Amino acid sequence: MGSADTTTVGKKLISDNNDTVEEYGPNLKILPSNDQVKELQTILRDKNTTRSDFKFYADRLIRLVIEESLNQLPFSKCVVTTPTGAKYKGLKYQKGNCGVSIVRSGEAMEQGLRDCCRSIRIGKILVESNADTHEARVVYAKFPDDISERKVLLMYPIMSTGNTVIKAIAVLKEHNVQEENIILSNLFCTPIAAKTLVTAFPKMKILTSEIHYVAPNNFGQKYFGTEYHGVEVTSNVQKTNFARRYSYDSD
Amino acid sequence: MAAKVQQFDLPSSASSESDDAEPCLEDREVFFADEQLEDIDHNRRSDGTPTPQSPRPPSTGSQKSPRSRRQRTTSMSQSSKKTSAESILRSKTRTIYTAGRPPWYNSAGQQVEPFVIGICGGSASGKTTVATKIIESLDVPWVTLLSMDSFYKVLNEKQHEMAAHNEYNFDHPDAFDFELLKSTLQRLKEGRKVEVPIYNFVTHRRENRTKTMYGANVIIFEGILTFYNVDVLKMCDMKVFVDTDADVRLARRLHRDISQRGRDLEGVLKQYSTMVKPAFFYYIAPLMVHADIIVPRGGDNEVAIELIVQHVHTQLQLRGFKLREKLAHSYSGQPLPSSLYLLPDTPQIKGLHTFIRNKYTYRDEFIFYSKRLIRLVIEYALSLLPFKEIVVETSQGGVYHGKRGATDKICGVSILRAGETMEQAVCDVCKDIRIGKILIQTNLQTGEPELYYLRLPKDIKDYRVILMDATVATGAAAMMAIRVLLDHDVAEDNILLVSLLMAESGVHTIAYAFPQVKIVTSALDPEINERFYVLPGIGNFGDRYFGTEPSSIDD
Repeated sequence: MGSADTTTVGKKLISDNNDTVEEYGPNLKILPSNDQVKELQTILRDKNTTRSDFKFYADRLIRLVIEESLNQLPFSKCVVTTPTGAKYKGLKYQKGNCGVSIVRSGEAMEQGLRDCCRSIRIGKILVESNADTHEARVVYAKFPDDISERKVLLMYPIMSTGNTVIKAIAVLKEHNVQEENIILSNLFCTPIAAKTLVTAFPKMKILTSEIHYVAPNNFGQKYFGTEYHGVEVTSNVQKTNFARRYSYDSD
Repeated sequence: MAAKVQQFDLPSSASSESDDAEPCLEDREVFFADEQLEDIDHNRRSDGTPTPQSPRPPSTGSQKSPRSRRQRTTSMSQSSKKTSAESILRSKTRTIYTAGRPPWYNSAGQQVEPFVIGICGGSASGKTTVATKIIESLDVPWVTLLSMDSFYKVLNEKQHEMAAHNEYNFDHPDAFDFELLKSTLQRLKEGRKVEVPIYNFVTHRRENRTKTMYGANVIIFEGILTFYNVDVLKMCDMKVFVDTDADVRLARRLHRDISQRGRDLEGVLKQYSTMVKPAFFYYIAPLMVHADIIVPRGGDNEVAIELIVQHVHTQLQLRGFKLREKLAHSYSGQPLPSSLYLLPDTPQIKGLHTFIRNKYTYRDEFIFYSKRLIRLVIEYALSLLPFKEIVVETSQGGVYHGKRGATDKICGVSILRAGETMEQAVCDVCKDIRIGKILIQTNLQTGEPELYYLRLPKDIKDYRVILMDATVATGAAAMMAIRVLLDHDVAEDNILLVSLLMAESGVHTIAYAFPQVKIVTSALDPEINERFYVLPGIGNFGDRYFGTEPSSIDD
């Protein structure tokens, strides 16, 4: 993503649901778009957005994505009595869900999940990718003991290649999590990553807010405020060297 | 007598004061039940209340202020005791339900013309006593009392000098600003907000401050020359002339000016014989021909007042002021209006509803799941605001075609109490948003909504308003709130009514009355029970959220 690519790519947005189904199958869902969602996405992509605004609007979009992800969970019908004495035909969700965030930017979505499910268990995976080969390596993973029996909401906001997520899912599978029990919750996804993931894990559900050729890879840095301002980075070569030296991952 | 007027003026004339000397206070407020609500901040403002009608023009010779203004620090409870001890609102024993503003529009949300009673009569004939007695017997809690004294012209230096020597004629028609009077009364008649000048009888100028008034169901307009101007005369639906004998009036005047205003006998008599008396015969007495009713002996005439009250009652009923029941039983089985925006029916929303509708849900869970649902509703509501397309540069070097809100003038207005539960969510999604409040309560006796308290951002007319109430049953409270916003010149299509749960009939009512208001809700229930609760419903949302349910909930 280092090259100075200034071509206009914004219009190539895939938003129509039928197209999505055709292209990526029924298990990839896009957050229903409206002007409001579009505004949030615009603010997050705008390079002139301040960090405080960035975090504020990112949290809002995350909340919407999490709420929509929870819609993918199974439920059953039930009837309750309201204070007026009347019956209400509602539904209830099954117990036995958990969240798993991919360190670091996936952790930005934890609060959104907590705001919706107060006491949900949350596991973590740290995946590091090699700056030269883009090869992903799992450094750390910690899950609830009975994760194999749970539905897993896997959280990661940005997918450009999908490598990191593929690695994380592999780890989940090693822990005997069923592929169909995984819901991947994501903000921005490239078409390549989407294609790769639906091909590799056809039974997994994916929810994203936008599929677009450019992924805002600086999400984690801007959200957590760790852009490196202190070091003067003048050229792309230097930038790459810097990243290499500190095994700095673009997300 | 002046003191008596002053006391009933506050609760009855729906007024508060705006104070130009305090520019830092941005909010404009109107306080309806200022006697009863314990809100120090508002008491402070509604406290210094010189009402325009009490000082009488003849007090010009006196160097004393016509009525010393109460200090702002004066505690409100004292005056409130006085007021409740005063016979004006005597029949009411409950606290807050006595002074709200009942609907001033019909069931279609359209402004209903208030009933204007003009009271004319010579100086000290007992006009205000008659007005007071009418208000007492009418038993409608909301009456606006407008006095001609507020409309004295501003005097120049020379006239001011004359006034000091008892030589300026305050009883002459030229002393009044009829143009201002006309426009003020017209606006009141349209139910709009007006700024009534406060006339200072010492400086003979209008004070910088004005008094904010609203049109009510009944407007009483009294003064010595109320029938003088033809246009004003036309605006009066009922014209009452108070005819008290000249000797009685002179006696009252002498008594009032000497014992209450510290003036000397000679000055009072001089003014009476050179100006007050001639003016009565030239200008005031001939106005009697316009009167519908002439009340001899003024306020003591019980029979006349009884007749007037009966007539006003009949008129108010004809104008369709009864609202709630009518609203609940109309529009069944019609297609839903296009101004209704129902949130997409997702499993999560249904699941959240299941939690908050279940009467066995504990309060902490109730609050938690309500908040989640509210957040979704608010986010959805924001998407209905206007947006414009923009192009931004991305951090990755390309450009992105996106959208941005077309306006940042958004404010929230919550309908107390249940609507307040939605404020936090609005603040969470809109940075630094302004929040207004409206208190509307149901009068337990009539079942009608009544308006008690209102605090809105200044210039609310320029804003898009997100009006919040947790549940909408008949729509009566929401309609009143929308009507209030319209009266503050908010454009109808700038209003979004946002709610968790609405009854179909409420939606129809609001959409019919205010077709341009966008109605947003997360669920629609088909029925309303006889207590105006939605079925199957959610119960009393405010009580459940704030934990104020009656202790014994029948299972």
